[in-house]
Amino acid sequence: MDSDIILVIVVATALAFDFTNGFHDTANAVATSISTRALAPKTAVTLSAILNFVGAFISIKVAATVAGGIVDSELITTTVIFAGLIGAITWNLVTWFFGLPSSSSHALIGGVVGAAFAASGPAAILGGGLLEKVIVPALVAPIVAFLTAGICILITYRMVGRLRPGSVNRGYRLGQIVSASLLSLSHGTNDAQKTMGIITLALIAHGTLDGPSPDPPFWVIVSAATAIALGTYSGGWRIIRTMGSKIYKMDPAQGFAAQGGGAAVLLTASHLGFPLSTTHSITGAVLGAGAAKSLSAVRWGLAGNIAVAWVLTLPAAAAVGAVTWGVSRIFGTGALGPLLISVSLLALITALFGKRMRHGPPIPMPPPVPADS
Amino acid sequence: MRASVDSAALLELVWAAPLAAITVVTAWGLVVYGTSRAGEARRNGQTGVAALHVMVAAVGGTLFVAAIVLGLIVTAAKG
Repeated sequence: MDSDIILVIVVATALAFDFTNGFHDTANAVATSISTRALAPKTAVTLSAILNFVGAFISIKVAATVAGGIVDSELITTTVIFAGLIGAITWNLVTWFFGLPSSSSHALIGGVVGAAFAASGPAAILGGGLLEKVIVPALVAPIVAFLTAGICILITYRMVGRLRPGSVNRGYRLGQIVSASLLSLSHGTNDAQKTMGIITLALIAHGTLDGPSPDPPFWVIVSAATAIALGTYSGGWRIIRTMGSKIYKMDPAQGFAAQGGGAAVLLTASHLGFPLSTTHSITGAVLGAGAAKSLSAVRWGLAGNIAVAWVLTLPAAAAVGAVTWGVSRIFGTGALGPLLISVSLLALITALFGKRMRHGPPIPMPPPVPADS
Repeated sequence: MRASVDSAALLELVWAAPLAAITVVTAWGLVVYGTSRAGEARRNGQTGVAALHVMVAAVGGTLFVAAIVLGLIVTAAKG
């Protein structure tokens, strides 16, 4: 009975994480398109939500499960997964509140690492995996994307700088719709799989599924796709505003260079088997496209805050994951701990964020792009 | 701690990712450049020049579509 309740709680928490992943990462795909008026805000999030949903069905490989290669898989229990998810959800909500883009994947890994550390000690953590899958990509992604987008925007200005701004802006807005769509599809494929992996892992631990790596049941695929699409549709407007207009006022060519360049970096890295964080890549590309045009136009203080959030993601989510596991254990190894924590967190979220989530701050449409850009 | 970073993939990423990005951005740049110049040429009655720029736009468009298709294939293959 207890294991059934824990399974239900883990599935619900995983879907809640999937939802926060969706609204937290909406900005990666649509922020620059909204900022440059390539798409109206509601159209942008609707398109992104649909493509996230579709993307979740493109691939159902669940080979790389939660924190695979980073935490000793023998030591991952449903309670550890639950605590890790709470750590990731908490960090996603905190960074959303401050409007800071940060990696949901790294938050999830951090949460599971912290919970596994609390449960089994340092032996549970595979340092080499942490270096390979988290730390090095976190350093490489923003730097490569920054430089790439910088080069891209310089080439773009060289090619079209002397043309009539009206037709150039129209052209790049159209290009942004394509790049935003590709990013949304890619996000749905990549990130919904994490939730499918978590739920599948929980089903294996529970004994519902057999085999070393079974395919996720259809209801898992549909529910993960729906959760990430609903999260995307709800729109993380605070982060969209940060990436789209607070870092600097971008023109359509810069928006396309950031988005198109960032997407190319992401997909090339994925093809080479070196997956990078979408958030780190797109944020780095946005900064690069701005800095190449004018260093002084970029709000470097805000960029610094984002970098601090990236550095804190792993330890902060790990700390929450560890504390959650510890609190859960106070109530024994049954379902009572996870149940009490879930109800408490839900009540806290409703009290603190409910109103803001429902309404969200309005996203002001940016002024028309100057004719000389 | 055993470091297990795939340095070959990392090195390849450093040159291949910018190359892919530059290809995508240049391809779309050709589309924008070609259509914009073709429009100007048509307005000035230079049909030959307009046709030439339409061809430039078409080359860029083909490259761009190829890049998108490649992106979709990579998206479908990863996981």
